[in-house]
Formats: sequence, C-alpha cells, structure tokens
Amino acid sequence: MPAAGRPGFDPGNRPAKNMSGSPTPLSVLGPQCDDERHRIRRLFETGTSARETLSALCTLADRNIQKIFGDVLRVHNAEPQGLCLIALGGYGRRLLFPYSDLDILFLFGGDKAEQESRPLIAEFSRTLWDLGFRVSSAGRTVEECRRIEEDNAEFHLALLDRRFLAGDAELFERLDKKVLPGSEKQARPFLLAQLQKLTNERLARYGNTIYHLEPNVKEAPGGLRDYQAGTWLRQIADDKKELRGAAAAEEELAANAVDFLSAIRCFLHYRNGRNDNTLTYELQTAASERSLGAGNGTGGSRTGDTPRSAAEWMRLYFRHARTLNRQLLRYLEQKATVPQSLKQRLLGATLGARLDAGKAFAIRDGLLEVLDLPALSDRAVTFSLFAEAARIGTLLSRDAERGISYILTHPELPAKNKQVTWTALREILGADYPGFALRPMQRLGLLTEILPEFQLIDSLVVRDYYHRYTVDEHSLRTIEHLQELAEPPDARGTHFTQLWKTAEQRELLVLAMLLHDVGKGMPVENHVAGSLEALEGAAERLQLSPEEKVEVHFLIEHHLDMSATVQRRDIFDAGTISAFAGTVGTQERLQRLCLLTYADIHAVNPEALTPWKAEMLWQLFVATSNHFSRTLDRDRLHASDEKSMLERVRAEAAGASIAELERFLEGFPRRYLAVHSPREIATHLALYKKLGAEPVQTELTSKRHAFSLTLLTADRPALFATIAGVLAGWGMNIVKADAFANAAGIVLDTFHFVDLHRTLELNPSEIERFRQSLAEVVNGKAPLEPLLKGRESASRARPPKVAVPTRISFDDASSDHSTLLEIVAQDRPGLLYEIGSTLARLGCNIEVALIDTEGQKAIDVFYLTEQGKKLSSQKQDLLREVLQGTLG
Amino acid sequence: MMKLEAIIQPSRFESVKDALREIGIEGMTVTEVRGHGRQKGHTEVYRGREYTVDLLPKIKLEMVLPDAVVNTVVETILKTAKTGKIGDGKIFLSRVEEAIRIRNEERGENAL
Repeated sequence: MPAAGRPGFDPGNRPAKNMSGSPTPLSVLGPQCDDERHRIRRLFETGTSARETLSALCTLADRNIQKIFGDVLRVHNAEPQGLCLIALGGYGRRLLFPYSDLDILFLFGGDKAEQESRPLIAEFSRTLWDLGFRVSSAGRTVEECRRIEEDNAEFHLALLDRRFLAGDAELFERLDKKVLPGSEKQARPFLLAQLQKLTNERLARYGNTIYHLEPNVKEAPGGLRDYQAGTWLRQIADDKKELRGAAAAEEELAANAVDFLSAIRCFLHYRNGRNDNTLTYELQTAASERSLGAGNGTGGSRTGDTPRSAAEWMRLYFRHARTLNRQLLRYLEQKATVPQSLKQRLLGATLGARLDAGKAFAIRDGLLEVLDLPALSDRAVTFSLFAEAARIGTLLSRDAERGISYILTHPELPAKNKQVTWTALREILGADYPGFALRPMQRLGLLTEILPEFQLIDSLVVRDYYHRYTVDEHSLRTIEHLQELAEPPDARGTHFTQLWKTAEQRELLVLAMLLHDVGKGMPVENHVAGSLEALEGAAERLQLSPEEKVEVHFLIEHHLDMSATVQRRDIFDAGTISAFAGTVGTQERLQRLCLLTYADIHAVNPEALTPWKAEMLWQLFVATSNHFSRTLDRDRLHASDEKSMLERVRAEAAGASIAELERFLEGFPRRYLAVHSPREIATHLALYKKLGAEPVQTELTSKRHAFSLTLLTADRPALFATIAGVLAGWGMNIVKADAFANAAGIVLDTFHFVDLHRTLELNPSEIERFRQSLAEVVNGKAPLEPLLKGRESASRARPPKVAVPTRISFDDASSDHSTLLEIVAQDRPGLLYEIGSTLARLGCNIEVALIDTEGQKAIDVFYLTEQGKKLSSQKQDLLREVLQGTLG
Repeated sequence: MMKLEAIIQPSRFESVKDALREIGIEGMTVTEVRGHGRQKGHTEVYRGREYTVDLLPKIKLEMVLPDAVVNTVVETILKTAKTGKIGDGKIFLSRVEEAIRIRNEERGENAL
C-alpha cells in the first residue's frame, strides 16, 4: 500500500521506473508500445493467425501493465499487499483485439486498502491511457466480490474469465480458490437465468437471425459473443464432461468458426481504427479480396485459396456464424430451463399424450422430441414430423434437430422414401405455421433437397439500402410474418389476420414466397424472370397441377405490383383500382397477393412496414375487393373475343366445337373465366351438352373434408334458394358459393360446403341418393319441406361462439342493371336457404350471387332484379325489414 | 435561406424526387404523414365493417434551400406534384435564420 507523503507522479517528466529501478520516460515507453503494435499488425496482415495476434496483443498489454504498476508502486513508495490487478472478460481469456478495452478489476483486501490505493490507481490508469490502452476498470473488495450484485450480472460473468495480472498474488488466490467458487455455485441459478436473459435480449436486438447483410461479428447472432455465452453456460453449469461424438465434432467446428470470426474482427479493428465490429459491404469486399480466414480458417491474409467474390466469401462467414449460433441455442436449451407458459404446458400435455403412442416423435416440455431416431431414416416419417410442427406451431428441440442431422449425414441408415411428393410438402406449406417446419428444414439442408432452387439464395447478400437480411432469410421471414398473423404482435397486422385465416390454397402462397426471390441468385437482369424460370423446374419436379402452377406463377410474377401500386399510384382513384383489379383477376388471388405483399415488405427490415404503409395496403385491398364484388355483372363475356381461351378449353374438351363453346360461355360474368381453369370449363361444357337429356346436371367432387357441387340447369324461380335448401336439409354447411347465368338463361351454380355430419364421407352410397334428391327437388318432382323439417331442431340448438350483428345494405350505383344487396350475418346451417327463399318470395331474381364465410360470419352479395329492373326503394325497404326479421 | 415544406400525394413522390434530383436538389427529409385539408376522407365498407378514412395518406417533404434556388424548386414541385384533383397538397415556405453542419460546424448556405 502507498506510504504517506510520497512524491506526486509528474506526467510532464514521465518518471516511471523500469524494473531495474531506473525510470523509463513515457516518451520512450510510448513509441515502444506503438512499434510493437505496428509489428503485430504487420505480422497479422502478412499471414499470422488471429489467435497469435490476439495473444501477442495480450502479452503487450500484460507486460506494460505489470511494468507501469510496478513503477507506480515504486514512485509512490508503496507495497502491493492488499491490492491486485485482475484481467476480466476477453482480456482475461487472453483474447485481446486491437482496439478492445482492457477490462481490469482492482481487487482490494479491504476498505482501507481501497481508500489508500485511489491516487495510485488514478495515476496507473492515466499512464495506460497515455500509452494508448483503453482501460475499462472496476474496483471491488474481496467481500464485495462474494456478494452477488443482482443488477450487474455482466460483472459476475466477466469474473468467470479472471486472470491474475499484477500485485498481491495471495489476494488473488483467496478470491480465485476460496471466495468465488462458493459464491458462484450458490448463484448458479441466478447466473444461468441472467445469462439466458441477456443472451435472449441480445439475440432479439438483432432479430434472432445470423443473416444480416452487414453483420456485427461480435454481438450479432452467430458472432463471437455467441461462443462466449455458450462457454459461460457450460462453465456456470459446471459441465466438465469431455465432449464426445457429435458434440466434440461440433466443438471443433466452433473452434474453426471462432478463428475465422476472430480474424475478421481483427481485420475490422485495424481497418476502422476503432472498436467497430460491423462487417460493412465495403469491408466484405476488402476481406474477400484477401480471402480473409479462408482455407485453414486462421490466416489474416490471402491463403492461396482461389479468390472469392464477396458474396461467396459471405457464405463462408454465414456457415461459421451458423455453427456458433446453433451451438449456443443448443446450450441455452440444455443448460437454462426455459419457463413455459400455461398454454405451452397444456399443449404439450394434450398433444404429447396423443402423439406418444407408436410414434417416432412426441412433445416434451413444449418442444417436439424424437423418440425413435432410426425411424427417421424413412423420409416419410421425417416429413410427418415437420408436418406436425407446422400444424400445431411447435418448435423442434435442438437435440431432435441434431438427431435428424445425424441420420441425414450417416449412410449406415439408408434413406427410405427419399422422393418427396407434393402431397407431403403441401401438408407443411398449407398448415397454420409453416415456418416452424421450414426453419429447421433449411438448417438441416432438407429444404434445398426438396427445392434445390432455394440453394441459389442460400446466405446470399444482395446489397441495397433497404434490406437488412440475406435473401434466404428474407424469404423465410415472409412466411413467419404470415403465420404470426394468427395472433399479430402489433397493430400493423390486425387488418390482415382474417385474410390469412381464410386464405385458400395457402400452400401455393407459401411456395410462391419461397421462390419469389430465388432469381436474385441467378445471372439474370430481372430477378422476377429468374424466379419464374426456377418455378418451371420446381413445378415439374413436384408435379404441380397446371392450375396450381398458374397460381404460383401469378404470385411470383406480380409480387411487386401491389407494393408499387400503393407507392406510385393514387389508390383512391377509381381508374387505378379498376386497372389493378384487371391485373389481379379474382378476389382469391387478391387475397393471396395482398398477404404476400404485406409479408414481403415486413421482411425487408423491422421498420419497413410502417403503420402508414400497412394502412395504404389495406385500403388498396378493400377498394379492389369491393370493386370485384360490385362490378360482377358489368363485365360480361363475349365469347367470340376470347379466341385463345376458347382454344385452350377446346383442347381439354374432346369433340367440342368452338360454336358450342361460344354459346355456352356467352354472357357469363368475367369472374367465371377467372375462377375456373380450362379443364373445369370443359367439364361444365360436357354437363351443358347433356342438359337436353336431363334438365338438371350436377357434379360433385370432394377435396379433403369439403365438397364442391356444380349444378347446371335452365333458370327458374327460386332456384338458388331451392339448392341451398336441399343442402341445408342434408345437413351441409355452405361456406362459399357462386351463382352465374349465361345469356341463354343457363344457370351455373357452384356451392362449396362442409359435410357437418360426415354423411357423404362415411356412406359413399349416400352420394348418389344426395344427387338424386337434389335433382328431384330442383325439378319439382319432390318437395323440399320434409327434408328441411328434420334439420330445424338441430340447427337451432347451437348458440354462436361469436355474435355477428346482421348488416343489410343496398347499392344502386355499382351496377347498371341490378341492385346489389350485401348481407353480413351470423352464419348457421340453412341461412342461405332462408335468405334465398325470402328473396324469391318477394319476387327478386338473383342475377349473380357471391357467398362467402369468415369464421362464423356469412358475407353474401346478391345482384338482384325485379322484372328485369333494379329494385325500387320501396322494395328495398320491404326486403330489409323482412330480412332483418328473419335473420335477427 | 428558406425552409420548404411540401405535402404531396404519395403517388407523386417518385416523380417529384426525380425532378428535384434533375435540378440538383439531392437532400431532403421525407415523412409518411396522414392528414386532410379541404379533401375530406370517406368511408369504405368491407365485409360488414366500416373503415373510415378521415385522414388521408400524404408525403411530407422538407428541405432548406439557398434563396437563389427556391423559385426553381417550387416550380418543379408544382409541375410534378400536380394532378389537378383535390388533394394534391400544399407548399409552405418560411425564412430560416441559420444552418449549421454538425460535422464541421460550417454555417449558413455552406452548411446546406
């Protein structure tokens, strides 16, 4: 400790003494330090590894600290007893980067020592600063180190890397061997929880992804901090087990990754001249030109490897970052207990119980775990695991992922059913949470096995001012932004929730999202053209139907249109809406394109989708959607103008003549063409041709749990209500319907319904009876009432889960010939029959109908006429009153 | 020096920006805003829900200009932002006392 009355430390003369006792002026020490720093830098730039460089910088700092500390003690005529210097954090680990702070702890034997050491420490720190060392210091007594500071977990974590530097060695021994082991053991749960919290906060600050276009190589996920956090986790958990097998291999990869990232960080410090760890575009180019870290993963300069493009070199970076991040996440999962929400626990308990029996996987602690690893050599089983993750929105445990990775890479278990069918993939893509499966599938290489096109954008950096993530990361984020619409995390998504929940053919939307930017990885001028080219191969391999391919093609081709319309057109102008609607074609496509646009903007960077843009997008969607429903009868088909379409249909309809086809199509609303493929139109034509023999033609198809009924017949009063009544009588719940008529008065009605009681599904013989019953009632050969009676009591028994108030509105302006009636009401079996029969009873003719449901809400639009004219205002009032009374 | 604030239609923003760049104006601050002047909003109904759009989306441009170019910039914005319909927006001009570049503390028009 310092003696009283010592001479002051004169900075002007720099009276430090060397170890032999004679003073070494700072004017000498300073240049010596600088020379040594330059020498270390030169060596790094000519090929010395980052590891040796960091160690050399550390030795330089150690040497100077010990010297200055000794000199200051001597100048102060003091003894080191009761004071020692300890290196912490990275410096403690002997990993000192060129412009990193020196984390030093001044450890005092007690309060007295602390008081007396203050002037000495001030001089010591000042001198180090003058020599160009950035000191970040803390002072504690031994007793203070014993106490856990709950608001300063960082300090206790830094202490884990303590290393003696100078001063009272016995004091350090006491702290290191006697005090800290006990207090650290006691504080283990606290430290684990804090480390987990700090790590999760850090990862979240960077969007929980390694795939940043300009990553921070220290702090971002996959950065050096990930490795350190993993090491601390093991250290706190007192995990001294020797790593074996997969874990040892992983550790070796991690060590290489650390060498690679350390070389980059050194390079960044030298190039920036400060502790700036952002790997900017400019420095990516510079690093790739030097093939920094390539080859043996250590060199600071070109290694003789083939020079890489910046994009290729960044892929190498991401490979290493992925290794570190994966290891950390696994440690986090294993070492730190993740508190589960009640919902997760409940989900785990119910689903786990259901999945356990005879399954290769189950839910444990809210994560999907593999029970029977060898079973996963059958890809069908592996894909059912991912389908389950996507269906219920549950993550795979890191261990499960590691197990699958092992199976995929070990040839002793040859893969069965390696060819993935579109049916299997559709289960994943069309589920509520496709991202839960696609993420691990990407990490495991399974995604690129199914969609090799995705490999084109693997870790691909495309430089622009707006995107924050690599192209593959951006694409996966689009899908995750959609699935989170089920419970949107902020107000921006509120409007779009229902669109996501009710979107049809989601699997096509998600496939389009996976492929929409793959063109960015192709040598093409326009990435959209590249993505469309990639779709060709993918569609053929996956055996998409022509109709499915057309839909995906449309979404990819137009994935920028809605955003461009929002930003560059006046969306409150009717002409803009009409033109945009013309491009999109149908309500169903509009819904998918809107979702894609929402997610595509959202995934550019966290701030890209401003509430302002989200609102504009929604306004465009609403205006276009209303345009579709309000202009249905304005835009009628003139079949002779549709030569190419006629040819496409004729190609599907053997023996049909163009004249027949023209007669059939003439006068249908244009929507008819937009929602039906040439193959479907050919089927309708075949039914049309049989009308002469049998006046009611029907076709019934089933798709998963739903049925589609197409009915063709000559128009007649109350036809729509009658069909709806038969369906209600058979216990079918109509979820969607179209009613169109052509110029010759032939009606083509399509009803999509759910077989509530599984009557048709469980009794195939009933299908024929159902069709017969429908034809008889429509033809007037059988009464409808007996059918309906049996259903009345059942339909009244169920109270609605969500109350939907009835809303009835009329619009005389949108159509030249009809009055539009829009009804929003509580959906229930038989609702459409009630509406249809009311309309018929009051003499209203349904020209066109569009029926839709959204959960328990029915949304029906009817184009009505009365004796060929729009409805009078008196008739509208009467209709409103009667419907209000019927619907409640 | 004058401060220019222009409220324009979002659909005209790209054209205005390009036109300003052509006359050598690169620096501007752009904000997505909502508001209305004489052009009031309207109500849209979608699936039984009413959406009242009473504050319409606009873009606000802000820039501080040397006196010599103010007229040219105003004319350029007028020409490119105009659609002739209600809701085209407004331009506001106000005098600026001083401008200081933070990096090197340059002042006056040199700081612009």
